[in-house]
Amino acid sequence: MWLTSKIKQVLLVLRPGVVTLKYPFEPHPVAKNFRGHPSWDHHKCVGCGGCAAHCPARTIMIRDVCQDLRVMLYDGSRCTYCGRCADVCPEDAITMTEQFELATNDRNDITVSMELFMLTCQRCGRCYNMETTNMIDKMGLRGFRYDNLEARAVIPTATEHFDEKMLEESDRYQRPQK
Amino acid sequence: MLTIEEVKTRLKNKYQSAVKKFEQPYGTRLYADIDKSKVREISNEIIGMGGRYLVSVGYDNIARDKTLGLIHAFSLDRDDIFVCLRTAAPVDNPTFDSITPDIPNAGWSEREYMDLLGMKFSGHPKPKRLILADDWPEGVYPLRKEVPWNLMPPPAENVAYQLDEAPEGCTTIPVGPFHPTLHEPAHFAVYVDGETIKGCDYRGFMVHRGLEKLCQTQLTYNEIPFVAERICGICGSVHATSYSQAVEMAAGFRISRRAEFIRTIMLEIERVHSHLLWLGVAGHLIGFDTIFMQAWRVREAIMWFGEKLTGNRKTYGMIVVGGVRRDISPELKDELLGILKTIEKELVTIHKAIVGDSSIHRRTKGVGRITTDETRLWSLVGPVARARGVDIDTRRDHPYAAYDEMRFDVPVVDSCDVWGTVVVRILETFEAIKIIRQALDTMPAGPTMTEFAEDIKPYQHAITAVEAPRGEVVHYLISGEENRPERWRVRAPTYPNLQGVPAMLLGDQFADLPIIIGSIDPCFSCTDRVVKVDIRSGRISNLTGGELETISRAKKLAGR
Repeated sequence: MWLTSKIKQVLLVLRPGVVTLKYPFEPHPVAKNFRGHPSWDHHKCVGCGGCAAHCPARTIMIRDVCQDLRVMLYDGSRCTYCGRCADVCPEDAITMTEQFELATNDRNDITVSMELFMLTCQRCGRCYNMETTNMIDKMGLRGFRYDNLEARAVIPTATEHFDEKMLEESDRYQRPQK
Repeated sequence: MLTIEEVKTRLKNKYQSAVKKFEQPYGTRLYADIDKSKVREISNEIIGMGGRYLVSVGYDNIARDKTLGLIHAFSLDRDDIFVCLRTAAPVDNPTFDSITPDIPNAGWSEREYMDLLGMKFSGHPKPKRLILADDWPEGVYPLRKEVPWNLMPPPAENVAYQLDEAPEGCTTIPVGPFHPTLHEPAHFAVYVDGETIKGCDYRGFMVHRGLEKLCQTQLTYNEIPFVAERICGICGSVHATSYSQAVEMAAGFRISRRAEFIRTIMLEIERVHSHLLWLGVAGHLIGFDTIFMQAWRVREAIMWFGEKLTGNRKTYGMIVVGGVRRDISPELKDELLGILKTIEKELVTIHKAIVGDSSIHRRTKGVGRITTDETRLWSLVGPVARARGVDIDTRRDHPYAAYDEMRFDVPVVDSCDVWGTVVVRILETFEAIKIIRQALDTMPAGPTMTEFAEDIKPYQHAITAVEAPRGEVVHYLISGEENRPERWRVRAPTYPNLQGVPAMLLGDQFADLPIIIGSIDPCFSCTDRVVKVDIRSGRISNLTGGELETISRAKKLAGR
């Protein structure tokens, strides 16, 4: 019994032979539809902030430096590559690329920052209203946002009108200390 | 067979005014509001009806009626009913009767709420700290609403967990917090007499990440599936499905049939790869690396398919509340069928090669033995229970997604040891392949996402269970305001199974410890999911005490 098992095991190992991939010496292409590093098309982006509101890892930050200038920052060091941002983008400005070799010692290598000139909706002060039919995907924070980009911190408040005081306050944001 | 009405009348007749109210928002779920003083009796009554203890859920209800709520959830497996006993105690004296003396598996749940909500359980046999770090300040209960989610209390010196007394004449061998046999941090103090294990104490929860608190305070309904998925690296879809179903149930909402079928397929894909992974790991733990290499080689095909279908090798991100994100195209369907065919063929070969191998038998037969009755008593779940003659499987007992249409067998063996687990897991892989084929064949057309037309009403309760590869996952959800749950409780399969490990270890050889712990396929991060983050790992004080702490802290500071 023992011997026949061992013979079977030898055959089991011999038949497939060596299956080790030569990666990284030979490229290993990923599947189509792979969710790699997200990329932003600044021509298409309207700065609605839908991606930031739906990012489970809070990797996308929005800072309105003044009424007309919005800075969007994507910090890849925290990204989980779920691709939710690409799903909810109403303008298809975000695509999940095939890039996955992202190891780096400088997180700026995988950080994307965009400065967008904004027009404000006279009526509501915001631009994102795509998912009104799906109540569960309501956008969390509407209007002007004041995330602290230096500390990479999401400030969970938003205002309907641009508020300089909030901007200053968010500048002084401190992470909780022990 | 009991019906839900019979359960109601039985409780009503026997306990009369102690049972205040029944709620039955969904056909198979019974929520009973009961009097606090009768918790233990009624729990035993449910066990007497053939119930199996699932989990307890504690929640903060201070804002509404100044009470802390406690729910004991049970499953009547033969009758497809979940019974949830809800009770409450005022916040200034939150004392409940412990049900642990009768239902040992409730021990952890109760200790959890001693730590997190400041409840007290009279008659608890081991009221020690379970979840919080040893230096967490007394009197701060992180799951209460008044405690901020990102609170970081200062670290304290010279505090350590007091291990249980070793039985007389025994030596304590510490295994962990970091140990080559454990793939994640956990501390087992094993009491041995010579080579024989006489007892064991467990101090885990070192990778506590505070997910429940985070999701209850920071995230919204449809962000949580992605966090839920990351509770476990192996059975992610299971948690996402279970959570999504709970939200859908709380909202009283049905997703499209096609999405249910795709969920079923995802869950079974996960089962195939998880069982192959475990088979490899089990082989590795008993020093038989041939199985390890071959099982993982076979597994690779399904991993690549997962990447093709979902966009990622693992943490698929497929399942969200309302359905699934991607559809299975006809080409992918054909490819999946091809892959399943190869896997099935290869697995038959592996099975044949190991099933008669006496060296594996010697390492696994009679090891990690507990009787069927003990397994029931400890409410163990999944392959661990099925290898010990307990015939439970959530897919069959409480069908969800598209399992009501699937035909499959539930393999049960009564060898009561680790070998049984190996057999059960291999056979289940074949069943999983069968289920995927059926689901692909009969999948109806339709949309993959269904939209919520209305807001989810707050304070609706929902409980769902999903059969993960390692056992049964239970999610309890109380819907809340602000588009996020008020309370979300996750019970991973390792949570009950790990509590049964001391019983399994008893009387075994120390050398078999890795495979016994490995046989439950422990996933410590799944188990350790709740509340705050900070637990430093350098504290193995029964080895070198303060010294090691100083060294590790000095190193930590030097590294900055």
